[in-house]
Amino acid sequence: MQVSNMVVGQYYPGTSILHRVDPRTKIIAACAFVIVLFMVNGFEGLAVMGAGLAAVIALAGIPLPWLWRGLKPVLFLLVITLAFQMFLSGGEELWRLGPVPVYRNGLVQGAFLTARLLLLVLSGSILTFSTPPVLLTDALGRLMEPLAKLKIPAYELALMMTIALRFIPTLVMEVDRIIKAQKARGAVTSGGGLLVRARGIMPVLVPLFVMSFRHADELALAMESRCWRGGRGRTIRRKLAFSKKDAVFATAVLAVLAASLWIGRLQ
Amino acid sequence: MRLELENVSMVYQSGTPFSARALEDVSLTVEPGERLAVAGPVGSGKSTLLAILAGVETPTSGRVIHGTREISRRQTPPPGSIGLAFQSPENCLFEKTVYSDVSFAPRRQGLDGLEVRRRVENALAAVGMDPASMGQRSPFSLSIGEQRRVALAGVLAMEPRALLLDEPTAYLDPAARRDLIRQLVELNEQTGVTMVMVGHDMDELARFAGRLVIIDGGRKVAEGRAEIILTDSALLARHSLDPPGTVEFCSLLSAAMGDQVAPALSEEQTIETLMQIMEGKC
Repeated sequence: MQVSNMVVGQYYPGTSILHRVDPRTKIIAACAFVIVLFMVNGFEGLAVMGAGLAAVIALAGIPLPWLWRGLKPVLFLLVITLAFQMFLSGGEELWRLGPVPVYRNGLVQGAFLTARLLLLVLSGSILTFSTPPVLLTDALGRLMEPLAKLKIPAYELALMMTIALRFIPTLVMEVDRIIKAQKARGAVTSGGGLLVRARGIMPVLVPLFVMSFRHADELALAMESRCWRGGRGRTIRRKLAFSKKDAVFATAVLAVLAASLWIGRLQ
Repeated sequence: MRLELENVSMVYQSGTPFSARALEDVSLTVEPGERLAVAGPVGSGKSTLLAILAGVETPTSGRVIHGTREISRRQTPPPGSIGLAFQSPENCLFEKTVYSDVSFAPRRQGLDGLEVRRRVENALAAVGMDPASMGQRSPFSLSIGEQRRVALAGVLAMEPRALLLDEPTAYLDPAARRDLIRQLVELNEQTGVTMVMVGHDMDELARFAGRLVIIDGGRKVAEGRAEIILTDSALLARHSLDPPGTVEFCSLLSAAMGDQVAPALSEEQTIETLMQIMEGKC
Protein backbone atom coordinates (compact mmCIF):
# COMPACT_ATOMS: atom_id res chain seq x y z
CA MET A 1 0.00 0.00 0.00
CA GLN A 2 1.37 3.41 -0.95
CA VAL A 3 0.13 5.44 1.99
CA SER A 4 1.77 8.64 0.80
CA ASN A 5 -0.62 8.79 -2.14
CA MET A 6 -3.65 9.25 0.08
CA VAL A 7 -5.14 12.69 0.23
CA VAL A 8 -7.60 13.30 3.02
CA GLY A 9 -8.89 16.82 2.68
CA GLN A 10 -5.63 18.25 1.40
CA TYR A 11 -6.00 21.81 0.07
CA TYR A 12 -5.85 22.04 -3.73
CA PRO A 13 -4.59 25.51 -4.68
CA GLY A 14 -6.69 27.42 -7.19
CA THR A 15 -8.32 30.72 -8.05
CA SER A 16 -11.83 29.54 -8.93
CA ILE A 17 -14.92 31.28 -7.66
CA LEU A 18 -15.31 28.51 -5.07
CA HIS A 19 -11.82 29.27 -3.75
CA ARG A 20 -12.76 32.92 -3.38
CA VAL A 21 -16.16 32.53 -1.74
CA ASP A 22 -16.09 33.36 1.98
CA PRO A 23 -15.16 30.20 3.91
CA ARG A 24 -18.09 30.76 6.27
CA THR A 25 -20.50 30.54 3.35
CA LYS A 26 -18.86 27.31 2.30
CA ILE A 27 -19.03 25.80 5.77
CA ILE A 28 -22.70 26.69 6.16
CA ALA A 29 -23.44 25.42 2.67
CA ALA A 30 -21.66 22.12 3.39
CA CYS A 31 -23.57 21.71 6.68
CA ALA A 32 -26.89 22.47 4.98
CA PHE A 33 -26.01 20.05 2.23
CA VAL A 34 -25.34 17.25 4.73
CA ILE A 35 -28.57 17.94 6.65
CA VAL A 36 -30.64 17.89 3.47
CA LEU A 37 -28.77 14.77 2.39
CA PHE A 38 -30.29 12.93 5.32
CA MET A 39 -33.76 14.37 4.78
CA VAL A 40 -34.04 13.40 1.14
CA ASN A 41 -35.60 10.08 0.28
CA GLY A 42 -35.36 8.37 -3.06
CA PHE A 43 -32.81 8.41 -5.80
CA GLU A 44 -34.28 11.41 -7.62
CA GLY A 45 -33.49 13.74 -4.74
CA LEU A 46 -29.98 12.35 -4.43
CA ALA A 47 -29.51 12.73 -8.19
CA VAL A 48 -30.32 16.45 -7.99
CA MET A 49 -27.90 16.87 -5.09
CA GLY A 50 -25.26 14.90 -6.95
CA ALA A 51 -25.70 17.07 -10.01
CA GLY A 52 -25.34 20.19 -7.84
CA LEU A 53 -22.19 18.81 -6.26
CA ALA A 54 -20.78 17.89 -9.67
CA ALA A 55 -21.36 21.47 -10.81
CA VAL A 56 -19.48 22.77 -7.75
CA ILE A 57 -16.60 20.37 -8.39
CA ALA A 58 -16.41 21.50 -12.01
CA LEU A 59 -16.52 25.13 -10.84
CA ALA A 60 -13.68 24.60 -8.39
CA GLY A 61 -11.58 23.02 -11.14
CA ILE A 62 -10.52 20.12 -8.96
CA PRO A 63 -9.21 17.40 -11.30
CA LEU A 64 -10.92 14.02 -11.10
CA PRO A 65 -7.77 12.03 -10.26
CA TRP A 66 -7.29 14.27 -7.21
CA LEU A 67 -10.90 13.68 -6.18
CA TRP A 68 -10.48 9.97 -6.70
CA ARG A 69 -7.37 9.85 -4.52
CA GLY A 70 -9.30 11.64 -1.80
CA LEU A 71 -12.05 9.02 -2.02
CA LYS A 72 -9.80 5.98 -1.94
CA PRO A 73 -9.53 5.73 1.85
CA VAL A 74 -13.34 5.54 2.25
CA LEU A 75 -13.85 3.19 -0.67
CA PHE A 76 -13.63 0.22 1.66
CA LEU A 77 -16.43 1.60 3.82
CA LEU A 78 -18.62 2.17 0.76
CA VAL A 79 -18.10 -1.37 -0.51
CA ILE A 80 -18.80 -2.85 2.93
CA THR A 81 -22.03 -0.84 3.19
CA LEU A 82 -23.21 -2.05 -0.17
CA ALA A 83 -22.23 -5.67 0.50
CA PHE A 84 -23.91 -5.84 3.92
CA GLN A 85 -27.17 -4.46 2.57
CA MET A 86 -27.07 -6.60 -0.56
CA PHE A 87 -26.43 -9.94 1.10
CA LEU A 88 -27.91 -9.68 4.58
CA SER A 89 -31.14 -7.72 4.33
CA GLY A 90 -33.47 -10.67 3.57
CA GLY A 91 -36.71 -10.41 1.61
CA GLU A 92 -37.24 -11.03 -2.08
CA GLU A 93 -34.36 -12.79 -3.77
CA LEU A 94 -33.15 -11.03 -6.90
CA TRP A 95 -30.39 -13.37 -8.09
CA ARG A 96 -27.66 -15.55 -6.70
CA LEU A 97 -23.96 -14.78 -6.64
CA GLY A 98 -22.75 -18.38 -6.46
CA PRO A 99 -24.33 -19.75 -3.29
CA VAL A 100 -25.07 -16.30 -1.86
CA PRO A 101 -28.46 -14.74 -2.47
CA VAL A 102 -28.71 -11.06 -3.41
CA TYR A 103 -31.87 -9.36 -2.16
CA ARG A 104 -33.76 -6.79 -4.20
CA ASN A 105 -34.57 -4.59 -1.21
CA GLY A 106 -31.01 -4.82 0.00
CA LEU A 107 -29.57 -3.88 -3.36
CA VAL A 108 -31.77 -0.80 -3.60
CA GLN A 109 -31.15 0.16 0.04
CA GLY A 110 -27.43 -0.50 -0.28
CA ALA A 111 -27.12 1.57 -3.44
CA PHE A 112 -29.02 4.41 -1.76
CA LEU A 113 -26.90 4.36 1.39
CA THR A 114 -23.69 4.12 -0.62
CA ALA A 115 -24.69 7.07 -2.78
CA ARG A 116 -25.60 9.08 0.30
CA LEU A 117 -22.27 8.26 1.96
CA LEU A 118 -20.42 9.13 -1.21
CA LEU A 119 -22.09 12.54 -1.44
CA LEU A 120 -21.41 13.11 2.26
CA VAL A 121 -17.70 12.47 1.90
CA LEU A 122 -17.49 14.46 -1.32
CA SER A 123 -19.21 17.53 0.09
CA GLY A 124 -16.81 17.58 3.05
CA SER A 125 -13.82 17.05 0.79
CA ILE A 126 -14.80 19.90 -1.52
CA LEU A 127 -14.82 22.24 1.46
CA THR A 128 -11.28 21.35 2.53
CA PHE A 129 -10.04 21.02 -1.06
CA SER A 130 -11.00 24.61 -1.81
CA THR A 131 -10.19 26.29 1.52
CA PRO A 132 -6.71 26.77 2.99
CA PRO A 133 -6.55 25.55 6.62
CA VAL A 134 -5.86 29.01 8.04
CA LEU A 135 -9.04 30.42 6.52
CA LEU A 136 -10.95 27.39 7.74
CA THR A 137 -9.89 28.08 11.34
CA ASP A 138 -10.78 31.75 11.08
CA ALA A 139 -14.17 30.91 9.65
CA LEU A 140 -14.92 28.19 12.20
CA GLY A 141 -13.85 30.50 15.00
CA ARG A 142 -16.09 33.29 13.72
CA LEU A 143 -19.03 30.95 13.23
CA MET A 144 -18.70 29.63 16.76
CA GLU A 145 -18.24 33.08 18.31
CA PRO A 146 -21.75 33.11 19.79
CA LEU A 147 -20.83 29.96 21.70
CA ALA A 148 -18.17 31.87 23.60
CA LYS A 149 -20.97 33.69 25.43
CA LEU A 150 -21.93 30.28 26.84
CA LYS A 151 -18.35 29.89 28.14
CA ILE A 152 -17.55 27.40 25.42
CA PRO A 153 -13.97 27.96 24.19
CA ALA A 154 -15.03 28.47 20.57
CA TYR A 155 -11.76 29.72 19.16
CA GLU A 156 -9.77 26.94 20.84
CA LEU A 157 -12.17 24.34 19.46
CA ALA A 158 -11.78 25.77 15.97
CA LEU A 159 -8.01 25.73 16.32
CA MET A 160 -8.07 22.12 17.52
CA MET A 161 -10.05 21.07 14.47
CA THR A 162 -7.66 22.83 12.14
CA ILE A 163 -4.59 21.41 13.82
CA ALA A 164 -6.09 17.94 13.50
CA LEU A 165 -6.71 18.59 9.82
CA ARG A 166 -3.25 20.04 9.36
CA PHE A 167 -1.58 17.01 10.89
CA ILE A 168 -3.30 14.39 8.75
CA PRO A 169 -0.77 14.64 5.88
CA THR A 170 2.12 14.79 8.36
CA LEU A 171 0.96 11.66 10.12
CA VAL A 172 0.32 9.93 6.81
CA MET A 173 3.89 10.67 5.76
CA GLU A 174 5.20 9.41 9.05
CA VAL A 175 3.16 6.22 8.88
CA ASP A 176 4.58 5.69 5.42
CA ARG A 177 8.14 6.06 6.68
CA ILE A 178 7.56 3.83 9.70
CA ILE A 179 5.96 1.13 7.56
CA LYS A 180 8.91 1.23 5.17
CA ALA A 181 11.43 1.08 7.99
CA GLN A 182 9.67 -1.79 9.75
CA LYS A 183 9.11 -3.66 6.50
CA ALA A 184 12.84 -3.47 5.93
CA ARG A 185 13.13 -5.28 9.27
CA GLY A 186 10.69 -7.93 8.14
CA ALA A 187 7.49 -6.68 9.77
CA VAL A 188 4.39 -7.88 7.96
CA THR A 189 1.80 -5.15 7.62
CA SER A 190 -0.57 -6.74 5.15
CA GLY A 191 -1.78 -10.26 4.50
CA GLY A 192 -1.99 -13.14 6.97
CA GLY A 193 -4.77 -13.95 9.42
CA LEU A 194 -6.47 -11.50 11.73
CA LEU A 195 -4.17 -12.28 14.65
CA VAL A 196 -1.04 -12.00 12.54
CA ARG A 197 -2.23 -8.72 11.14
CA ALA A 198 -3.16 -7.34 14.54
CA ARG A 199 0.31 -8.21 15.78
CA GLY A 200 1.82 -6.83 12.60
CA ILE A 201 0.39 -3.42 13.33
CA MET A 202 2.19 -3.00 16.67
CA PRO A 203 5.56 -2.11 15.12
CA VAL A 204 3.77 0.73 13.32
CA LEU A 205 1.34 1.80 16.03
CA VAL A 206 3.77 2.16 18.93
CA PRO A 207 6.24 4.45 17.10
CA LEU A 208 3.34 6.43 15.65
CA PHE A 209 1.89 7.12 19.10
CA VAL A 210 5.28 8.00 20.56
CA MET A 211 5.85 10.46 17.73
CA SER A 212 2.36 11.95 17.89
CA PHE A 213 2.75 12.72 21.56
CA ARG A 214 6.14 14.25 20.88
CA HIS A 215 4.65 16.38 18.08
CA ALA A 216 1.85 17.55 20.37
CA ASP A 217 4.33 18.45 23.11
CA GLU A 218 6.58 20.33 20.74
CA LEU A 219 3.70 22.19 19.13
CA ALA A 220 2.32 23.24 22.51
CA LEU A 221 5.76 24.43 23.58
CA ALA A 222 6.29 26.33 20.34
CA MET A 223 2.89 28.03 20.64
CA GLU A 224 3.48 28.99 24.25
CA SER A 225 6.93 30.35 23.53
CA ARG A 226 5.38 32.60 20.90
CA CYS A 227 2.92 33.90 23.49
CA TRP A 228 -0.19 32.09 22.30
CA ARG A 229 -2.86 32.72 24.90
CA GLY A 230 -6.01 31.39 23.31
CA GLY A 231 -8.55 33.43 21.43
CA ARG A 232 -8.83 36.33 23.88
CA GLY A 233 -7.88 39.64 22.36
CA ARG A 234 -6.71 38.04 19.14
CA THR A 235 -6.91 40.10 16.00
CA ILE A 236 -7.16 38.78 12.47
CA ARG A 237 -5.14 40.15 9.60
CA ARG A 238 -7.32 38.75 6.88
CA LYS A 239 -10.78 40.13 7.63
CA LEU A 240 -13.55 37.88 6.42
CA ALA A 241 -16.28 39.68 4.55
CA PHE A 242 -19.36 38.50 2.72
CA SER A 243 -19.67 39.79 -0.82
CA LYS A 244 -21.82 39.45 -3.89
CA LYS A 245 -20.10 36.18 -4.73
CA ASP A 246 -21.36 34.71 -1.48
CA ALA A 247 -24.91 35.76 -2.19
CA VAL A 248 -24.78 34.15 -5.63
CA PHE A 249 -23.19 30.97 -4.31
CA ALA A 250 -25.60 30.69 -1.36
CA THR A 251 -28.62 31.25 -3.60
CA ALA A 252 -27.44 28.55 -5.99
CA VAL A 253 -26.88 26.08 -3.16
CA LEU A 254 -30.26 26.90 -1.63
CA ALA A 255 -31.96 26.40 -4.98
CA VAL A 256 -30.37 22.96 -5.44
CA LEU A 257 -31.22 21.91 -1.89
CA ALA A 258 -34.81 23.11 -2.19
CA ALA A 259 -35.20 21.33 -5.51
CA SER A 260 -33.83 18.07 -4.13
CA LEU A 261 -36.08 18.31 -1.07
CA TRP A 262 -39.07 19.00 -3.29
CA ILE A 263 -38.30 16.07 -5.56
CA GLY A 264 -37.46 13.84 -2.59
CA ARG A 265 -40.82 14.64 -1.02
CA LEU A 266 -42.75 13.58 -4.10
CA GLN A 267 -41.93 9.98 -3.31
CA MET B 1 26.45 -7.35 -2.84
CA ARG B 2 26.71 -4.96 -5.79
CA LEU B 3 23.98 -2.33 -5.91
CA GLU B 4 23.27 -0.49 -9.13
CA LEU B 5 21.11 2.41 -10.21
CA GLU B 6 20.61 2.96 -13.92
CA ASN B 7 19.28 6.33 -15.13
CA VAL B 8 17.01 6.64 -12.13
CA SER B 9 14.58 9.56 -11.92
CA MET B 10 12.05 10.20 -9.21
CA VAL B 11 9.10 12.58 -9.12
CA TYR B 12 6.95 12.70 -5.99
CA GLN B 13 3.19 13.24 -6.39
CA SER B 14 3.53 13.56 -10.14
CA GLY B 15 0.53 15.01 -11.93
CA THR B 16 -0.54 17.18 -8.99
CA PRO B 17 0.24 20.80 -8.10
CA PHE B 18 2.57 19.38 -5.43
CA SER B 19 4.65 17.46 -7.94
CA ALA B 20 8.29 17.56 -6.84
CA ARG B 21 11.30 16.25 -8.72
CA ALA B 22 13.72 14.57 -6.32
CA LEU B 23 16.15 12.79 -8.63
CA GLU B 24 17.06 13.20 -12.26
CA ASP B 25 18.85 10.58 -14.33
CA VAL B 26 21.17 9.26 -11.64
CA SER B 27 23.36 6.23 -12.37
CA LEU B 28 25.48 4.76 -9.61
CA THR B 29 27.27 1.52 -8.82
CA VAL B 30 28.11 0.46 -5.27
CA GLU B 31 30.83 -2.20 -5.36
CA PRO B 32 30.61 -5.18 -2.97
CA GLY B 33 32.32 -4.48 0.35
CA GLU B 34 33.03 -0.81 -0.25
CA ARG B 35 32.17 2.14 1.96
CA LEU B 36 30.45 4.76 -0.16
CA ALA B 37 29.31 8.13 1.12
CA VAL B 38 26.59 10.19 -0.53
CA ALA B 39 26.90 13.88 0.29
CA GLY B 40 24.94 16.93 -0.75
CA PRO B 41 23.12 19.95 0.61
CA VAL B 42 19.77 19.65 2.37
CA GLY B 43 16.97 18.75 -0.06
CA SER B 44 19.33 17.51 -2.77
CA GLY B 45 17.72 14.08 -3.04
CA LYS B 46 20.18 12.09 -0.92
CA SER B 47 17.53 10.40 1.20
CA THR B 48 15.42 9.57 -1.83
CA LEU B 49 18.47 8.05 -3.48
CA LEU B 50 19.05 5.83 -0.46
CA ALA B 51 15.42 4.71 -0.26
CA ILE B 52 15.46 3.80 -3.96
CA LEU B 53 18.80 2.02 -3.60
CA ALA B 54 17.28 -0.02 -0.76
CA GLY B 55 14.27 -0.93 -2.89
CA VAL B 56 11.65 0.52 -0.51
CA GLU B 57 10.84 3.35 -2.90
CA THR B 58 10.16 2.68 -6.58
CA PRO B 59 11.65 5.23 -8.96
CA THR B 60 9.46 6.95 -11.56
CA SER B 61 11.86 5.71 -14.23
CA GLY B 62 15.14 3.82 -14.39
CA ARG B 63 16.37 0.47 -13.11
CA VAL B 64 17.52 -0.73 -9.69
CA ILE B 65 19.68 -3.86 -9.57
CA HIS B 66 20.78 -5.78 -6.46
CA GLY B 67 23.47 -8.29 -7.40
CA THR B 68 21.97 -9.96 -10.45
CA ARG B 69 18.38 -9.27 -9.53
CA GLU B 70 16.32 -6.37 -10.85
CA ILE B 71 14.23 -4.70 -8.16
CA SER B 72 10.74 -3.37 -8.84
CA ARG B 73 7.45 -2.84 -7.05
CA ARG B 74 6.60 -6.51 -7.62
CA GLN B 75 10.12 -7.84 -7.21
CA THR B 76 11.18 -6.54 -3.81
CA PRO B 77 14.59 -7.45 -2.37
CA PRO B 78 14.59 -10.71 -0.39
CA PRO B 79 13.96 -10.03 3.33
CA GLY B 80 17.13 -9.47 5.30
CA SER B 81 19.37 -8.80 2.31
CA ILE B 82 19.35 -5.02 2.73
CA GLY B 83 19.70 -3.30 6.07
CA LEU B 84 18.17 0.15 5.89
CA ALA B 85 18.24 2.79 8.62
CA PHE B 86 16.29 5.95 7.84
CA GLN B 87 17.04 9.24 9.57
CA SER B 88 16.44 8.95 13.31
CA PRO B 89 15.83 5.17 13.23
CA GLU B 90 15.20 5.26 16.99
CA ASN B 91 11.72 6.55 16.13
CA CYS B 92 10.86 3.02 15.04
CA LEU B 93 11.65 1.27 18.33
CA PHE B 94 8.54 -0.37 19.69
CA GLU B 95 9.27 -3.47 21.78
CA LYS B 96 9.28 -3.68 25.57
CA THR B 97 12.96 -4.53 25.89
CA VAL B 98 16.11 -3.79 23.97
CA TYR B 99 16.64 -7.51 23.42
CA SER B 100 13.24 -8.12 21.87
CA ASP B 101 13.51 -5.05 19.65
CA VAL B 102 16.89 -6.05 18.28
CA SER B 103 15.75 -9.66 17.86
CA PHE B 104 12.59 -8.61 15.99
CA ALA B 105 14.01 -9.03 12.48
CA PRO B 106 15.85 -12.35 13.08
CA ARG B 107 12.75 -13.78 14.78
CA ARG B 108 10.77 -12.70 11.71
CA GLN B 109 13.27 -14.47 9.53
CA GLY B 110 12.32 -17.65 11.37
CA LEU B 111 15.77 -18.37 12.82
CA ASP B 112 16.08 -20.70 15.82
CA GLY B 113 16.55 -19.36 19.34
CA LEU B 114 20.28 -19.95 19.54
CA GLU B 115 20.99 -18.20 16.25
CA VAL B 116 18.74 -15.28 17.23
CA ARG B 117 20.64 -14.94 20.49
CA ARG B 118 24.01 -15.02 18.72
CA ARG B 119 22.91 -12.36 16.27
CA VAL B 120 21.46 -10.03 18.91
CA GLU B 121 24.63 -10.28 20.97
CA ASN B 122 26.85 -9.67 17.95
CA ALA B 123 24.73 -6.76 16.78
CA LEU B 124 24.68 -5.06 20.17
CA ALA B 125 28.42 -5.62 20.56
CA ALA B 126 29.01 -4.15 17.09
CA VAL B 127 27.42 -0.86 18.17
CA GLY B 128 29.32 -0.91 21.44
CA MET B 129 26.56 -2.01 23.78
CA ASP B 130 26.71 -4.70 26.42
CA PRO B 131 23.92 -7.25 25.74
CA ALA B 132 23.94 -8.51 29.34
CA SER B 133 23.33 -5.15 31.01
CA MET B 134 21.23 -3.48 28.28
CA GLY B 135 19.17 -6.39 26.99
CA GLN B 136 16.35 -6.26 29.51
CA ARG B 137 15.96 -2.47 29.69
CA SER B 138 13.12 -0.66 27.96
CA PRO B 139 14.37 1.11 24.84
CA PHE B 140 12.33 4.16 25.84
CA SER B 141 14.34 4.59 29.05
CA LEU B 142 17.57 5.13 27.10
CA SER B 143 19.16 8.33 25.85
CA ILE B 144 18.73 9.27 22.18
CA GLY B 145 22.30 8.15 21.45
CA GLU B 146 21.70 4.76 23.06
CA GLN B 147 18.35 4.40 21.31
CA ARG B 148 20.09 5.11 18.01
CA ARG B 149 22.56 2.29 18.70
CA VAL B 150 19.75 -0.10 19.60
CA ALA B 151 17.90 0.78 16.39
CA LEU B 152 21.05 0.25 14.32
CA ALA B 153 21.66 -3.05 16.12
CA GLY B 154 18.12 -4.03 15.11
CA VAL B 155 19.14 -3.54 11.48
CA LEU B 156 22.51 -5.26 11.89
CA ALA B 157 20.85 -8.30 13.49
CA MET B 158 19.48 -9.25 10.07
CA GLU B 159 23.12 -9.66 8.98
CA PRO B 160 22.34 -7.84 5.74
CA ARG B 161 24.70 -7.98 2.78
CA ALA B 162 24.42 -4.24 2.34
CA LEU B 163 23.87 -1.59 4.98
CA LEU B 164 22.30 1.73 3.96
CA LEU B 165 22.39 4.52 6.51
CA ASP B 166 20.70 7.91 6.29
CA GLU B 167 22.62 10.38 8.48
CA PRO B 168 23.22 7.86 11.24
CA THR B 169 25.00 10.44 13.41
CA ALA B 170 22.42 13.24 13.25
CA TYR B 171 21.43 14.64 16.69
CA LEU B 172 24.21 12.70 18.46
CA ASP B 173 26.85 14.36 20.60
CA PRO B 174 30.39 14.63 19.15
CA ALA B 175 31.84 11.70 21.12
CA ALA B 176 28.96 9.42 20.13
CA ARG B 177 29.37 10.44 16.49
CA ARG B 178 33.03 9.57 16.46
CA ASP B 179 32.37 6.21 18.16
CA LEU B 180 29.61 5.28 15.78
CA ILE B 181 31.67 6.04 12.68
CA ARG B 182 34.60 4.04 14.08
CA GLN B 183 32.31 1.09 14.83
CA LEU B 184 30.82 1.20 11.34
CA VAL B 185 34.27 1.22 9.74
CA GLU B 186 35.37 -1.69 11.95
CA LEU B 187 32.25 -3.65 11.07
CA ASN B 188 32.85 -3.11 7.37
CA GLU B 189 36.48 -4.20 7.66
CA GLN B 190 35.64 -7.31 9.70
CA THR B 191 32.59 -8.57 7.80
CA GLY B 192 32.97 -6.98 4.36
CA VAL B 193 29.37 -5.74 4.39
CA THR B 194 28.73 -3.14 1.70
CA MET B 195 27.96 0.24 3.24
CA VAL B 196 26.34 3.38 1.87
CA MET B 197 26.06 6.37 4.15
CA VAL B 198 24.25 9.63 3.49
CA GLY B 199 25.53 12.68 5.30
CA HIS B 200 26.79 16.22 5.02
CA ASP B 201 29.39 16.41 7.75
CA MET B 202 32.60 16.17 5.73
CA ASP B 203 34.84 15.43 8.73
CA GLU B 204 32.73 12.38 9.38
CA LEU B 205 32.61 11.29 5.76
CA ALA B 206 36.40 11.71 5.56
CA ARG B 207 36.78 9.15 8.35
CA PHE B 208 34.19 6.83 6.86
CA ALA B 209 34.24 6.77 3.11
CA GLY B 210 36.44 5.10 0.56
CA ARG B 211 34.50 6.67 -2.25
CA LEU B 212 32.22 9.68 -2.38
CA VAL B 213 29.30 10.81 -4.51
CA ILE B 214 27.92 14.34 -4.43
CA ILE B 215 24.26 14.93 -5.22
CA ASP B 216 22.88 18.41 -5.83
CA GLY B 217 19.46 19.37 -7.14
CA GLY B 218 18.63 15.71 -7.77
CA ARG B 219 21.64 15.16 -10.06
CA LYS B 220 24.91 13.38 -9.48
CA VAL B 221 27.49 16.16 -9.80
CA ALA B 222 30.68 14.39 -8.67
CA GLU B 223 31.95 10.91 -7.94
CA GLY B 224 35.39 9.64 -7.01
CA ARG B 225 37.89 8.53 -4.37
CA ALA B 226 37.27 10.29 -1.06
CA GLU B 227 40.77 11.82 -0.95
CA ILE B 228 40.20 13.46 -4.34
CA ILE B 229 36.68 14.76 -3.80
CA LEU B 230 37.21 15.88 -0.22
CA THR B 231 40.34 17.89 -1.03
CA ASP B 232 38.65 19.75 -3.89
CA SER B 233 37.49 22.77 -1.88
CA ALA B 234 36.17 24.60 -4.94
CA LEU B 235 33.94 21.67 -5.92
CA LEU B 236 32.61 21.31 -2.36
CA ALA B 237 31.92 25.04 -2.07
CA ARG B 238 29.94 24.99 -5.32
CA HIS B 239 27.53 22.55 -3.67
CA SER B 240 27.26 24.30 -0.29
CA LEU B 241 29.56 21.81 1.42
CA ASP B 242 32.59 22.46 3.62
CA PRO B 243 35.85 20.55 3.23
CA PRO B 244 36.98 18.54 6.29
CA GLY B 245 38.73 20.59 8.99
CA THR B 246 42.11 19.04 8.22
CA VAL B 247 41.87 19.99 4.54
CA GLU B 248 40.93 23.53 5.49
CA PHE B 249 43.85 23.65 7.94
CA CYS B 250 46.27 22.54 5.23
CA SER B 251 45.04 25.16 2.80
CA LEU B 252 45.35 27.89 5.46
CA LEU B 253 48.85 26.61 6.16
CA SER B 254 49.69 26.76 2.45
CA ALA B 255 48.52 30.37 2.31
CA ALA B 256 50.48 31.34 5.43
CA MET B 257 53.70 29.67 4.28
CA GLY B 258 53.36 30.75 0.69
CA ASP B 259 54.16 27.16 -0.16
CA GLN B 260 51.94 24.32 -1.36
CA VAL B 261 51.12 21.87 1.47
CA ALA B 262 49.49 18.60 0.42
CA PRO B 263 45.97 18.46 1.92
CA ALA B 264 45.52 15.81 4.61
CA LEU B 265 42.33 13.85 5.28
CA SER B 266 42.91 12.85 8.88
CA GLU B 267 44.50 14.24 12.04
CA GLU B 268 47.27 11.62 11.83
CA GLN B 269 48.08 12.59 8.28
CA THR B 270 48.11 16.28 9.23
CA ILE B 271 50.63 15.63 12.00
CA GLU B 272 52.81 13.73 9.56
CA THR B 273 52.74 16.66 7.15
CA LEU B 274 53.60 19.08 9.96
CA MET B 275 56.50 16.89 11.06
CA GLN B 276 57.88 16.84 7.53
CA ILE B 277 57.63 20.62 7.30
CA MET B 278 59.40 21.05 10.64
CA GLU B 279 62.17 18.63 9.67
CA GLY B 280 62.66 20.54 6.45
CA LYS B 281 62.87 23.85 8.30
CA CYS B 282 65.31 22.78 10.98
